[in-house]
Amino acid sequence: MAKKRAKTSSRPRRSSAKKRSIWSFLIGLALKLSLLGAVFLAVILVYTDAQVREKFEGKRWALPAKVYARPLELYPGQPLTLADLRLELQSLGYQLVPAVNRPGSAELGNQRARIHTRGFAFPDEPELPRRLVLDFQGERLQRIRDEVAGRDLPLVRMEPVLIGGIYPHTNEDRDLIRLQDAPDYLVDALIVVEDRSYYSHFGISLKGMSRAAWVNFRAGRFVQGGSTLTQQLIKNFYLTSERTLSRKLLELPMALVMDMRYSKDEILEAYLNEVYLGQSGSRAIHGFGLASQFYFSRPLPELDLHQVALLVALVKGPSFYDPRRNPERALTRRNLVLNLLHEEGVITAEALRQSLEKPLDVVQSRSLQKGAYPAYLDLVKRQLRKDYRDEDLGSEGLQVFTSLDPIVQSRADQALVSTLNTLEQRHGAAGKDLQGAVVVTDPQTGEVLAMVGGRDTRFEGFNRSLDAIRPIGSLVKPAVYLAALERGYTLVSPLQDEPINLRLPNGDVWTPQNFDRQTHGTVLLHRALARSYNLSTVHLGMEIGLPRVIDMMRRLGVERHLDAFPSLLLGAQGMSPLEVAEMYQTFAANGFRMPLRSIRMVTTAEGEELSRYPFQLRQQVEAKHVHLIQYALQEVVREGTARSIYQQLPSNLNVAGKTGTSNDQRDSWFAGYTGNRLAVVWVGRDDNSRLPFTSTGGALPVWTALMKAEKPTPLQASRPQGIEYAWIDEETGLRSDPRCEGSRQLPFLEGSAPLRSVDCGQFNLPTEAPSGSGADPDAGWFRNWFR
Amino acid sequence: MSQKWIPLLAGAVFLTGCATSNPFSNVPIEDRGGRPAAAPAPLPTEVPGVIVTPVDPGMGVSVQPIEVTSVVRSQRDLPPADEMWQPVSPQIQSPAPQSGAPMQPAPQPLSMPAAIPSDNTAVVALLEGARLDSEQGDLRAAQTRLERALRIAPREAEVYYQLADVKRQLGQFLDAEQVALRGVGVAEGQRQELRRLWILISQIRSEAGDLAGAEDARNAAAAF
Repeated sequence: MAKKRAKTSSRPRRSSAKKRSIWSFLIGLALKLSLLGAVFLAVILVYTDAQVREKFEGKRWALPAKVYARPLELYPGQPLTLADLRLELQSLGYQLVPAVNRPGSAELGNQRARIHTRGFAFPDEPELPRRLVLDFQGERLQRIRDEVAGRDLPLVRMEPVLIGGIYPHTNEDRDLIRLQDAPDYLVDALIVVEDRSYYSHFGISLKGMSRAAWVNFRAGRFVQGGSTLTQQLIKNFYLTSERTLSRKLLELPMALVMDMRYSKDEILEAYLNEVYLGQSGSRAIHGFGLASQFYFSRPLPELDLHQVALLVALVKGPSFYDPRRNPERALTRRNLVLNLLHEEGVITAEALRQSLEKPLDVVQSRSLQKGAYPAYLDLVKRQLRKDYRDEDLGSEGLQVFTSLDPIVQSRADQALVSTLNTLEQRHGAAGKDLQGAVVVTDPQTGEVLAMVGGRDTRFEGFNRSLDAIRPIGSLVKPAVYLAALERGYTLVSPLQDEPINLRLPNGDVWTPQNFDRQTHGTVLLHRALARSYNLSTVHLGMEIGLPRVIDMMRRLGVERHLDAFPSLLLGAQGMSPLEVAEMYQTFAANGFRMPLRSIRMVTTAEGEELSRYPFQLRQQVEAKHVHLIQYALQEVVREGTARSIYQQLPSNLNVAGKTGTSNDQRDSWFAGYTGNRLAVVWVGRDDNSRLPFTSTGGALPVWTALMKAEKPTPLQASRPQGIEYAWIDEETGLRSDPRCEGSRQLPFLEGSAPLRSVDCGQFNLPTEAPSGSGADPDAGWFRNWFR
Repeated sequence: MSQKWIPLLAGAVFLTGCATSNPFSNVPIEDRGGRPAAAPAPLPTEVPGVIVTPVDPGMGVSVQPIEVTSVVRSQRDLPPADEMWQPVSPQIQSPAPQSGAPMQPAPQPLSMPAAIPSDNTAVVALLEGARLDSEQGDLRAAQTRLERALRIAPREAEVYYQLADVKRQLGQFLDAEQVALRGVGVAEGQRQELRRLWILISQIRSEAGDLAGAEDARNAAAAF
């Protein structure tokens, strides 16, 4: 009904005003079109606004996680040489100068160093920048004096070395800076060189564009770009994704929108962090903060005028003006920037003259620290991936504080590389293609201090410390012997070093042999371990049973599946160097298992704690049993298979350790520790071929070279409750006397020492022992013991 | 096997003893670098052939008294010393004088183990800071500081004591107990520290509901 009425009513109107309807149609069309246009514009506006906001706010925070080494703690009495300090300062990018002038500079003398630290916002408490005088004496730091405050300090933490980042998939890297952190002249130079009307335009500069067009037209080619800093920022936002025409067309409205929405300073700050300034392999260098590290190995605020000018010069074309590949071009362009600054009255003629004289000052190695610790970073990342999502690691700017010690790391790198080079020279063709891995920990805290994943210490690939699962050979023996000691054996229990045939579950017969293919008859337990006899170990292991050996290995920290085959007793089981370190850590910590840690704490970008990995431990074996095995492990080094150590190291180190060579001599191992350093070394080949040497010819020299450089503290095996020492005759294992030939002191669980004694005439002595120095009370004490 | 072997050997020793020639009479004297002073002197006894290494340090034997807490093995054939005995006598309570220092092949100057707190101002400062943190209820900060102290002086029993106590206050009883037990190992020979640590362990255990264990720890404390 309504339809009908409408029809009837419309007819007369159309006929009466035909001319007017054309106008109304046109007006309507225009209205509709403009409405459509308005909607279209609005959509574009909304779209660009959303894009700008997403990019500006989202991307500003897409920061890779920063991974830091341990901060060097400085305190009086600390074992630290000036050479160590120099290494640390180099890693931190300090400038060695004749006179300290600002944070990040140092002057090193003979016995004294003066450093101006940068300070660091540690999550627990900030460490302030300080001017320090450090006095050294011999191999120790003697005194720390705060020059400004004029007093001695008990403890100072240096800032930690940034050892790497965890990047998002786009492989972009950033080192975020705030506008106020920008060094003098950086902003001035950018504005003078790139966008003079920055503070007055609306995001785009018509004047700039027309001038550029005119210049380009006159030159007949592209000479000058008319983009404002705002437009450049937008270009940089899309630099990594596809550059389409629509994006290009959107650039102008986006620049306008951005200028409307954000303040000039905010845009400038984003620009400083976003602009593309170089390429390191697959890694794009974005922002001035990272570029400063990349080209000068120094933080941005510490750059000099000529360095700032170079970075600004690079904006125009980081590849074309690459100061490493094209130093001439880079220098010309840098000087152009300096001249412009002078013309605009930003710098004085004197400053210009001085800066023009300076060389480029770019560090040669592309990245001093980044890339130097691939194996350790691998360990850190694996730990982090257990607890954090990949997206968060690549974008949230997390700070990861690790226990990596760059000084130890460089020594471990050097020990492995130089020893393997020497071995290759010595063994000629038979010594080709040697590989190796090193894990260094602090046996007291369970922290991993250094990790070498292979001979190419900067190779970010196969990490042998974690992924080379190789038979551990005799390194397993201390676990076998410890299990036996727990079962009531003593260090002087006689073992049979006789041939043995074992029938395996698959019907094969296993006939192990000693390394020298000899048998040694009856040997005392401690000696069998020190000499690493195979036959006595198999006899012992079979007597106590494989399940007990496996149980002991588990308690010591081995988590992988272990097959209960007799060959386990001689180390047929494959393990990684890190797993071995975990096991030996438990020996070194007197039976307390400490899961090895590489991360101390993870915080947000602002320093708020997210997670910490605290000092944790569980007693797995009683200290008194471990004490016995520690004695035997020291004997390995004093008199056993590892005795070549003391040709290189001071004998008061009391090293405890064990050599290991796998079947057919394919793997060379050494695991050993002192008071404050535990290191596990593996040497072998990736194709698993036979080596021209055993453990003593491969892994042991690497270990020794490391410790020689490291100068660790001696091992102090404190005597736990329930342990007594008794004089024992070396040949028979019976009780003896300090005055008898061939006697030595051995530890025993209280009451387990042999009761019977050899008689070398000590019972016939006069009641008073011969007068000697400090021996008298002991002689009396021992004599009383027997009666 | 061992049970069979010992009496047999003991018997042999006994028999040779009866024949007035002890097992060592036939043992060739170790060559000790050919220094005359090292020649073993026969004991002034009637027993012929008995050779006993003299105790007199002047005769080439050095006795190295060491601290009661340390057990340091010596290398038997290191020139110039013949024997370096390091008797561990529980009677010695104070570090022995250096007169009997080992005659070792001039060891390089070595960093010594972590000093006692009175020496190490850094550790003193950290312990004091941690105490203040704890008092102000900031246990996390105290924990961080104590772990710093632990890295600097891992043989300092007081660090373990305070760290265990912080973990106790955080309610991490198992961790607290283990840290304190590790402290006991480190404090070996320091009666006062041992007593404090065992009292702390007793407290941790009773707070964790392990009353029998707490009693054991109390008894252990009473022994010091």
